[in-house]
Amino acid sequence: MTDNKVYYTVETGDNLICQKCGIPLVKTEAVFEYLNNSFPVELPACPKCGFVYVPEDLALGKVLSVEKVLEDK
Amino acid sequence: MIEIISKTKSVCPICLKRIDANKIVGKDGYIYMQKSCFEHGDFETLIWEGDLKSYLDWAKLSKEGLSPTNTKKSEKGCPYDCGLCENHKSESCCVLLELTNRCNLKCPVCFATAGEGVEKDLSLKEIETQFDMLLKRKTRKGLFNIQLSGGEPTLRDDLADIIALGRKKGFSYFQLNTNGVRIAKETGYAKYLKDAGVSSVFLQFDGLRDSTYKILRGIPLLDIKLKAIEYCAKVGLGVVLVPTVTFNVNEDEIGAIIDFAQSKHPAIRGVHFQPLSYFGRCELESRTKITIPRMLKHIEEQSFNKIKASDFSGGGAESPYCSFHASYRRMSDGTFKSLPKKQDQSCCDVSNARNFVSRQWSGPSIVGNTTSCCSTKDPFDEFIENTIRDTFTISGMVFQDAYDLDLERLRRCKICEVDSEYGMVPFCSYNLTNIKGEALYRK
Repeated sequence: MTDNKVYYTVETGDNLICQKCGIPLVKTEAVFEYLNNSFPVELPACPKCGFVYVPEDLALGKVLSVEKVLEDK
Repeated sequence: MIEIISKTKSVCPICLKRIDANKIVGKDGYIYMQKSCFEHGDFETLIWEGDLKSYLDWAKLSKEGLSPTNTKKSEKGCPYDCGLCENHKSESCCVLLELTNRCNLKCPVCFATAGEGVEKDLSLKEIETQFDMLLKRKTRKGLFNIQLSGGEPTLRDDLADIIALGRKKGFSYFQLNTNGVRIAKETGYAKYLKDAGVSSVFLQFDGLRDSTYKILRGIPLLDIKLKAIEYCAKVGLGVVLVPTVTFNVNEDEIGAIIDFAQSKHPAIRGVHFQPLSYFGRCELESRTKITIPRMLKHIEEQSFNKIKASDFSGGGAESPYCSFHASYRRMSDGTFKSLPKKQDQSCCDVSNARNFVSRQWSGPSIVGNTTSCCSTKDPFDEFIENTIRDTFTISGMVFQDAYDLDLERLRRCKICEVDSEYGMVPFCSYNLTNIKGEALYRK
């Protein structure tokens, strides 16, 4: 990742805990892949098991919009 | 032995009386509609130049959509109660407002028979009444796309007022159905349309030969069309080319039209073919219709297999036998790659089709490369913007006339004409005429 790129970023806050490992999530670089397209993001993830938290507004907002523009009528 | 594959209802092309019709497999393996009028005899029309399997496969993914709300009671049965009546099976996607019957051309073929009879422009008050009527019949998810039509709508000088009125009522997509003459001839007119809020220019564009225009439009028009496209591109008005494809006239120009459109993409957003139907004014001798398989064969052959017939699907909200469409994405090397087909064609409401049209046929928000070092958009937003800009559509609609009208298809129509007396009338019943040119609805 280079510095001049803009990422979709979600701050972790203090209240996101990995249910499996019981430790707080930390902001981590990740890549969304969809139909051969990559979307670099920074999302909360568990430093132990690697679980990435995808907030609802990303899934039902931006990701759904991406899906829609790729849909034929 | 003739194999009957299904039964439906149609009309007699002479008296427009409702009659039984059979769809059959002909001796050549193609699909035909056969019907008999007690008074006027037997009629047979080719409806599908492909075998039975291809005919049935075409509809495999199609499901009926939601029926419209606020309908009227049917008394005489289809197609005599349109407006819409309780038997209609699909909500509307796009509605046509015929703002004037005046025209600056006198085309030998014109479904609206424009330029004949007493000149009539809808008053702003009448247009407001039509908008209000549409608001009462809005679909479950949002308002209709509006097509400003005619006659030639650009002969009016108040399009900006009409669009402002429509926007005030809540409508957001305004497609201008035009021959492009005024856009080409009047300096600044394209900008006026852009500023007025026109979303997309639906441009009559029959080919790249003047001989084609002489036959279909009465005069050579290629230079006019090219200028209109250039001026729309300059101001960022999205253009969709609309060729009327006619037997023995411009069937061989299909590939060239697509090539030309792709060379002007993203300013040209797509091509929407309309094989000629025999209603309204038609001074041509031939009555041969061009079916969907024939269109797709032409597209495949004339693009030298770059575009494949298998890229295309039938209509989602409307009957699959009314339309075909495919979407492509322009790649960085300038080639166009087919986008995956939607597997579920159910389109439980027409909002999918309506949103697709509004998104893809409007002018690209940014022309050129947006991937720069200084972009402030996140990758999702950038992707969405680039994808919309880079998508190119090829589609077509096969209108029905008195020869091949299938009332089952008509009940699923999603394109309606707005009429002050009748309300929302499906396009193919509104324009239906018998062989003498007499109409059921159009005055």
